[in-house]
Amino acid sequence: MSPGRPELVAPLAVEGLFAGYGGGDILKDVSLSVPAGKVFTVVGPNGSGKSTLIKTLAGLVAARQGRIALCGRDITRLAAARRVSAGLAYVPQEHNVFRNLTVGENLKLSTEFLDGGRLAGPEQRERVLALFPDVAERRGLLAGNLSGGQRQMLAFACALMANPEVLLLDEPSAGLSPKFVQEIFQAVLTVRDAGVTVFMIEQNVAAALPFSDIALVLVAGQVRLVTAADRLLAEHDLHSLYLGEA
Amino acid sequence: MAQLVLNGLITGMIVALPAVALTLIFSILKFPNFAIGAMLTASAYIAWSLNVLAGLPLLAAAVLAALLFALAMVLTDRAVFRPLRERGPITLLVASMGVSFVLENLCRLAFGNLARNFDIPIARPHRFWGLRVNQEQITTAIVALAAMAAVYLLLRHSPLGRAMRAVADNPALAAARGIDRDRTILWTWAIAAVLTTIAGVLVGMDRAIDPLMGWSYIISIFAAAILGGLGSPVGAVLGALVIGVVQEVSTLVIASNYRQAVSFAAIALLLLFRPQGLLGQRRIKR
Amino acid sequence: MIAYLVTILTLVSIAAIVALALNLQWGLCGMVNFGIVGFVALGAYTTALLALAGTGPILALAGAVAVCALAGGLVALLSVRLSEEYLAIVTLGFGEIVRVVSLNEAWLTGGALGLPGIPRPLIESVPSESYDWVFLGLCLLALAAVFLLLESLTRSPFGRLVRAVRDDDVVAATLGKNVLRTRVVAFAVGSGVTAVAGGLQAFHFSYIDPSQFTPIVSAYAFMAVIAGGRGSNRGILLGACTVMVLLEGSRFLKDFVEVLDAEQLASIRLILIGLGLILFLIYRPQGFGREPRRSAGSLLGEAAADGRERTS
Repeated sequence: MSPGRPELVAPLAVEGLFAGYGGGDILKDVSLSVPAGKVFTVVGPNGSGKSTLIKTLAGLVAARQGRIALCGRDITRLAAARRVSAGLAYVPQEHNVFRNLTVGENLKLSTEFLDGGRLAGPEQRERVLALFPDVAERRGLLAGNLSGGQRQMLAFACALMANPEVLLLDEPSAGLSPKFVQEIFQAVLTVRDAGVTVFMIEQNVAAALPFSDIALVLVAGQVRLVTAADRLLAEHDLHSLYLGEA
Repeated sequence: MAQLVLNGLITGMIVALPAVALTLIFSILKFPNFAIGAMLTASAYIAWSLNVLAGLPLLAAAVLAALLFALAMVLTDRAVFRPLRERGPITLLVASMGVSFVLENLCRLAFGNLARNFDIPIARPHRFWGLRVNQEQITTAIVALAAMAAVYLLLRHSPLGRAMRAVADNPALAAARGIDRDRTILWTWAIAAVLTTIAGVLVGMDRAIDPLMGWSYIISIFAAAILGGLGSPVGAVLGALVIGVVQEVSTLVIASNYRQAVSFAAIALLLLFRPQGLLGQRRIKR
Repeated sequence: MIAYLVTILTLVSIAAIVALALNLQWGLCGMVNFGIVGFVALGAYTTALLALAGTGPILALAGAVAVCALAGGLVALLSVRLSEEYLAIVTLGFGEIVRVVSLNEAWLTGGALGLPGIPRPLIESVPSESYDWVFLGLCLLALAAVFLLLESLTRSPFGRLVRAVRDDDVVAATLGKNVLRTRVVAFAVGSGVTAVAGGLQAFHFSYIDPSQFTPIVSAYAFMAVIAGGRGSNRGILLGACTVMVLLEGSRFLKDFVEVLDAEQLASIRLILIGLGLILFLIYRPQGFGREPRRSAGSLLGEAAADGRERTS
């Protein structure tokens, strides 16, 4: 990686990553590189390590070996909140908004306590709210009173307030009714078109891939395949991929 | 009757301050702090020492006592509650009982069992529309209302308040947002200590200071907080006012020695029929 | 000196009974009883009133056990569906009510003056110079009976069930209603045991008043349970002895340090108890004894197996 040519530096790059809980490693030598301005989706069977991967990237699980780089800067040892300041925002799968606080307070808190540089100014706030008009018009409401889909949008909006380079989404469609699922992935595209690189993990492959640019298949903690998302949908038999026959 | 309601409201305002403190600690540290009564006693003695022994005017003594006591509770948290933070509510509440024994008996050891009074002039009660209102009651109402308004503004409109509510709501997400839980907890103890000091001084002005004074309020404080749903400061204030009025009015029917029993009856009825509190949400574990 | 030792031993065995009861409630079931002194007092007053009415000591004690068990069951019922914090508050309130009633209802309890002249058991049939020994024997007998009862309860399917429930909320939630009943019963049994201690205390002094039932009684019990190790009946016995001997021993301190009066000594004792509680919780949460740690699953497996053996 040559720092002299920043246009070639991937927003998010992982090299030889090992991580896990307790005894064994769940992630075994994972390497990947997320190109700028794309939606990068990790799919895989249950227990493949998707969730460990995104938590390790977010800084909630410690990396045992390997390197995580954000726009060329090594963030492997940064604490979770510091990664947000560095430009890597994370939306957890559930409990991702403060239910007893208003929408406005949720937005404010998303950057209020981050140290350094990322304090959202009014323009950033307006830009984010313009992406999510549903959220914008409910600023005075308690977040707990929003619908599931709106709450997910609010979580996106909060993450974007820190003006991140990369947005990490942990199963954004989990627990939503089918009606909202399309809406949420549409919002993911909106985020991408606003210039933010998106890295997400998804269980709902069929729904997610049409909205993704690149797909990575993770099986048993190892990268099995990286390809264009539409090609994965069209050309590969997912079942055989998951079972390791491809 | 109107006189009793008025007295009850004043009592309620005094009870409301520690009840709010209890609620803040409960929602952020997730355990009922049984030392709240002893905190009332200890803070009152600190203010009394500064007022009577050191000769400071009462207001200065109260302010200084609030600061000192806030420091003391912050240190107590460091020494006692912080090492036990992840051990669950039962361990914490038993530890808070331990703290209660220590605080209360330090006071008894230092000051004896005699009742003490602040160095303040005794004023004649005023009369409004046939109601007797004494100077202490007016002071109590003004100070307590101001303190409650300050806490409300702090919680609603300050970064610290938002951080406190965020930690209470979702500690994991709060951490991800860069909110330092330990610092928020220290501030919570400091605020709780200031509130109990204010209440301690008000009780001391109204009656007298003795080692058991906190004990004589503890059931009322818990009743107020439970009435408000354990976790809602506004609920705790309303609960305290209800408890205060019910206690005073009940003296028409039963002996005034049974004040705490009236509070207890309120808790019992509430737990039987409306366990989520008058305003709060249901908190059922099993 | 011997007479003094006999008195101390009598008091230790009474305190040990209270501690064993608290161990059943708090140690085994996780139900915090901050009002345990209220149950001791209720037991003592019931025993005293019945004995003064001429029922004889056994009936008086039995009546006290029944009254306390009933009261304990009701207190537990109030809050058993809610999280444990509420029970702690309700028991604290219960203790306060008992205190206020014993102080104010002079027609029944003698108020602050208390109830004198409680007839002591076997007083006519034993020569008065050896009576204290006999009474100590009675107390030890009661302690042994309580210990055996609680030991067998702990080892029974019932005991394993309550421990499983204490250790694992998920198990608790799945078992549902059964668990509620079990917890209420356990709390009632604990309260009944406490009444025995109260009754013995009434007989021992042959005089009771509200000043005997201060929170220090609860404090001793908590200290004994945590020092002895929650859940272990044997540890509790040891804990109760240590705590009582240390605290009673501190009376002698007065002879050496003349500046301290009795009141100050009492407060120093409570400060020590408070510090002791905190230090044990932080540094030795299992106390000196320890209950063998087992998973909720294995506890329940055995409970179920026992159940099957019984029915077959």
